[in-house]
Amino acid sequence: MWVYILKRFLVAIPMILIMALATFLLMGSTPGNYLDTIRMDPQVSEETIGYYQHLYKLDRPLLEQFFYWIKNLLRLEFGYSFHYNVPVTRIISARLLNTFILSFASFVLTWAVAIPLGIWAAVHRNQWIDRLIQLFSYIFLSLPSFFIAMILLYWASQTGVLPLGGMYGPDYDQLTLLGKIGDILTHLAIPTVALSIGSIAALQRIMRGNMLEALGQKYILTARAKGLPENKVVYHHALRNAINPLITLLGYEFSSLLSGAALIEIICSWPGLGSLMLTAVRSKDIYLVMTSMLMGGVLFIIGNLLADILLVKVDPRIRYD
Amino acid sequence: MFNKIAFQNRRFALIYFFFLLFLFPAISQSQQNPQPGGQLVLATTSDPKSFNTIIAKETSTSEAVEFIFDGLTKTDPFTLKVGPNLAQSWEVSEDGLEWIFHLREDVVWSDGVEFTADDVVFTFNDLVFNPDIPASSRDIFMIDGQPFAVNKVDQYHVKFILPVRFAPFLRAMSQEILPKHKLEKVVKEGKFNSTWGIDTDPREIVGTGPFCLIRYDPGQRLVYERNPRYWKKDLNGNTLPYLERMIYLIVQNSDVELLKFIEGTLDAYSLRGMDYSLLKPIEQKNNFTVYDRGPDLGSQFIVFNQNPGINPNTNKPFVDPVRLSWFQNRDFRRAVAHAVDKEKIIEIVKNKLGYPQYSPMGPAVGFFYKDDVFKYEYDLNKAKQILKDAGFSDRDGDGYIEDQEGHQVEFNLYTNSGSTERVDIGGILNHDLEKLGMKVNFLQLEFNTLVSKLTSTFEWDAIIMGLTGGVEPHFGKNVWTSDGQLHMWNPRQETPATPWEKRIDELFSEGVQELDEDKRKIIYDEFQMIVSRELPVIYTVLSAKLTAIRNKFGNLKPSNLGGVFHNLEEIYIK
Amino acid sequence: MINNNRHHSQFQLALQRFRGNKTAMACVFILGFLYFSAVFAEFLSPYSYKDEQRQYSYCPPTPVHFFDQGRLTWPYVYGLQLSFNEFYKREYVTDVNTKYRVKLFASGESYKLLGLIPTRVHLLGVESPGRIYLLGADSRGRDIFSRLIFGGRVSLSIGLIGVLISFTIGLLIGGAAGYYGGRVDNYLMRLCEMVIMFPGFYLLLALRSAVPDDFNSVQVYFAIILILSFIGWASLARIIRGMCLSLREREYVLAAKSLGVNDFHIITQHILPHTLSYSIFAVMLSIPGYILGESALSLIGLGIQDPFASWGNMLSDAMSIVRIKFAPWILWPAFFIFLTVICFNIIGNVLRDCLDPNLKGN
Repeated sequence: MWVYILKRFLVAIPMILIMALATFLLMGSTPGNYLDTIRMDPQVSEETIGYYQHLYKLDRPLLEQFFYWIKNLLRLEFGYSFHYNVPVTRIISARLLNTFILSFASFVLTWAVAIPLGIWAAVHRNQWIDRLIQLFSYIFLSLPSFFIAMILLYWASQTGVLPLGGMYGPDYDQLTLLGKIGDILTHLAIPTVALSIGSIAALQRIMRGNMLEALGQKYILTARAKGLPENKVVYHHALRNAINPLITLLGYEFSSLLSGAALIEIICSWPGLGSLMLTAVRSKDIYLVMTSMLMGGVLFIIGNLLADILLVKVDPRIRYD
Repeated sequence: MFNKIAFQNRRFALIYFFFLLFLFPAISQSQQNPQPGGQLVLATTSDPKSFNTIIAKETSTSEAVEFIFDGLTKTDPFTLKVGPNLAQSWEVSEDGLEWIFHLREDVVWSDGVEFTADDVVFTFNDLVFNPDIPASSRDIFMIDGQPFAVNKVDQYHVKFILPVRFAPFLRAMSQEILPKHKLEKVVKEGKFNSTWGIDTDPREIVGTGPFCLIRYDPGQRLVYERNPRYWKKDLNGNTLPYLERMIYLIVQNSDVELLKFIEGTLDAYSLRGMDYSLLKPIEQKNNFTVYDRGPDLGSQFIVFNQNPGINPNTNKPFVDPVRLSWFQNRDFRRAVAHAVDKEKIIEIVKNKLGYPQYSPMGPAVGFFYKDDVFKYEYDLNKAKQILKDAGFSDRDGDGYIEDQEGHQVEFNLYTNSGSTERVDIGGILNHDLEKLGMKVNFLQLEFNTLVSKLTSTFEWDAIIMGLTGGVEPHFGKNVWTSDGQLHMWNPRQETPATPWEKRIDELFSEGVQELDEDKRKIIYDEFQMIVSRELPVIYTVLSAKLTAIRNKFGNLKPSNLGGVFHNLEEIYIK
Repeated sequence: MINNNRHHSQFQLALQRFRGNKTAMACVFILGFLYFSAVFAEFLSPYSYKDEQRQYSYCPPTPVHFFDQGRLTWPYVYGLQLSFNEFYKREYVTDVNTKYRVKLFASGESYKLLGLIPTRVHLLGVESPGRIYLLGADSRGRDIFSRLIFGGRVSLSIGLIGVLISFTIGLLIGGAAGYYGGRVDNYLMRLCEMVIMFPGFYLLLALRSAVPDDFNSVQVYFAIILILSFIGWASLARIIRGMCLSLREREYVLAAKSLGVNDFHIITQHILPHTLSYSIFAVMLSIPGYILGESALSLIGLGIQDPFASWGNMLSDAMSIVRIKFAPWILWPAFFIFLTVICFNIIGNVLRDCLDPNLKGN
């Protein structure tokens, strides 16, 4: 097992490096660079731009810039953000927690709602409750999340029950610990719901399918024939087998925890990584993009690995040598 | 059309008149005892890039530090006259080269250290003119490539010696003064460029302004508290500012900003054209007022590439020589200018709340604005006639016009993505150019890509762009003189390519040395006439600056040029 | 051979089951109708997508009148006059003295039907200078109804062409990986993972900026399809690879192998056809991604470029609360995107249920 994990990591290193190189070349070779934003100011002189060009090594060949970055990476220096003129790690770390809170909340909401819904729908297959759930899943699957966020915000502005965007209220500092948590939770509500609604619909469908498949197996028939109570058949025998395949999904979810959701973050003024990345990609703040891509890549690999390991744990038939 | 313009300018004058009427009672009100306390909540669209104003000049940065620092002088937003600030008075020598500033003696930095002439000398000699620091404002202060000498006379007197006369000098003295005692060490260590970045402890940022930054949550908000050591007092001798706190919320989406204003979280909101129809009817009910502050300073225009240069890497000309010959043809540009349907652009893009623009100095700049420049009314028949006279006509009957050699008139028109306004302007123009028989590929590019075309690759045909403007004509030097890097249609020329560009160069070097305001105006009037005649850039429309502000503030004097809260220290909660 | 037959009958069985599902069949008809109208866009739309009448900015849907002074008459519309009220809100005043008759098979802008037959006939029109805006007008007075039909051309085809490209790549790479297994599988799957690892939206942006900027609108359209399919192929390849892994152990494949049939032939003739029926629902479910992808690009102005219409760029015009408030009809593209996406989702899911052998017994 440990050898397998080690092997996976060794494979991952060249993969991430190739990806990083691809990103770098893609960002560097397309027209325009960060300094163009400064260039448009009539009051900034040529020397100033030259200074920055030299400072950020933008006047060097692309590959040289890349290897320079890799070299610094080995010393755990991730480079400077052109835009903010401070190390990228500081900018990312300021927002990491916020993104994590939002992703985690939406993760919890998705699983907590979708799994029971899926089971419920499967047990009542083709009854009106199942049809209602399926109808709503289709609707929510087909609405872009930014649109849902917009509608929710408009609704909140009309009713005044929830705050309009942001992460804290204006008097956050004066609140008690409990009050602070409550404050963040109310601000979390809209972006979380907007983010989760689509995934709830999707996961619910998967869960329903798995459950139906499990209920159709021979051992369920046997269990019923033995005269086990229906509840026990459904929740003990079928459920366990229906949930197993979902466990691998958990691993994949892990990898997307920190990628952020740019459009939702912008609309809900959530100070996460998504909106930061969007501006960084668009304004070619290369090292900021590279670093968060690196982070995403590592998480993806860990997530995949986690999925595989979990699979072994729940399904003894699978084995890695 | 001409009548219409005259009408709009009259309207503009009227607005100002009403402003004044409105202001007088407000000023007398300020004698009633304003109560200290309360807070002001505003919104901004993006995070500050840095708190270091020497390095960063973006709006996001200057907005974030606007109330932390002061300059020696301050321009009055209504009269546009330069008035005292940290300097209480000044003297100038006969030849206009030597200036002595008398500093206020009661100014204290927000950490308690006294403000002296050393800080002024430090700001200029060690920061602005320091070759190791990419000070963004240095370009303004360098006259013919030379810095001016800044010397301390005594604790409260500073002497500036200029190499040549420099008309905008006093206005340029609004440069923020930074604390020597805080920054001297980092400058010596060569670390100034990364000092006061966004990860700085806010308490390190020490200023002389009415407010101090106390907290910055990235992507969330900036919180300011009143500076208890601020030097300005009201008429009764009470220390200013009255407000206890000021908060900038960072709201990226302007719709959310609007909702937050209606809901009551925000105290002010800048309207886009159509917002007016939504907000004006609920003014009373929601207890706010919409102020029309007049035309905006920032311009939007079309520019054609007239660069005859050759790309040194590919040995190909930047612009296809055939197209270049059209773009260099003034009649071609005149025809395009006649195809700009300003009236409908204002109606569609600005919801009728806008002004047409014809000259590089918009009506907002006041004194230097010249109204009777060459104007181009929307008239497609006239445009067609001009094109025909210049040799452009549909020779092969395919609906598109050709030039004399039979080349079909076709070019790419770019603008930056994400600006609905510019896309609409471009779409409207495109539609009309098509009617003239031109084949236009209208495309949106990422802002950076577009700017890089404009300033470094030079490979483009036509662009719709915007530039921010200012009251001082000389600060647009980078755009207008032929060696400027933002001289978009043909940048960084060694010698002026055309007689009129040569004349503009002369006017700019005359204008900067002319100290008599009236004579200066004559110089810049000629400049505006030349630009409107030669049309290197074809102006479109200006927005009306509209701001909605909650009715709870006393001493409020929204101005066009100085912003809504330019006198923040005097504003109080009623 | 026998296997092939059995497979076909199984597929036919699934189709039969699919036909029995009323919702799914309704979706098929809706989509069919949308595609039909996209093909005959020029004929069905009263105006061209770029026919701009600035005096009709944000004109509300034109009411069509059937009665004149209480008597049934040939349908007509009134003339409209734009004015701004004291709050600068657009108000259209109906001019009851000017009536314009609605015309069927009206003569309008000339075009080529199906790109071949030159004609001027439009299904619907109105006497000039009157204008008929069935679903209202946009900011520049262009007919939203016409633009929706033309926009459908872009949005509906982007999904189809995009999925065709990514499916071809996915089939070949997934097929090769699954068939050869071992090292090839390993390398190809790592490649897929690398593509998947990039957060899609940012990759979309980065690739978009690599599109040469002197491309005209048609070239931009194809570039966008290519970009979207480049992002989409990897996940399809993974699904197909999984299926191939099990298919390659089937007897008929082993038989073909032992007969010395070459690998390419085996993959394309014996393995991929069998994955087709199972992956068809994956295709259906991935089409919405292309439509939404284009609309996301349009939202930041990098999608299909004005004056050409796509549902995405029309929707991006509507993403403003104020504009929706004063001209709610500009939300129509959102409805059509929603309708199309939901139809593809339902068809895909129903197809899967029909094809799923585990549910067969129920």
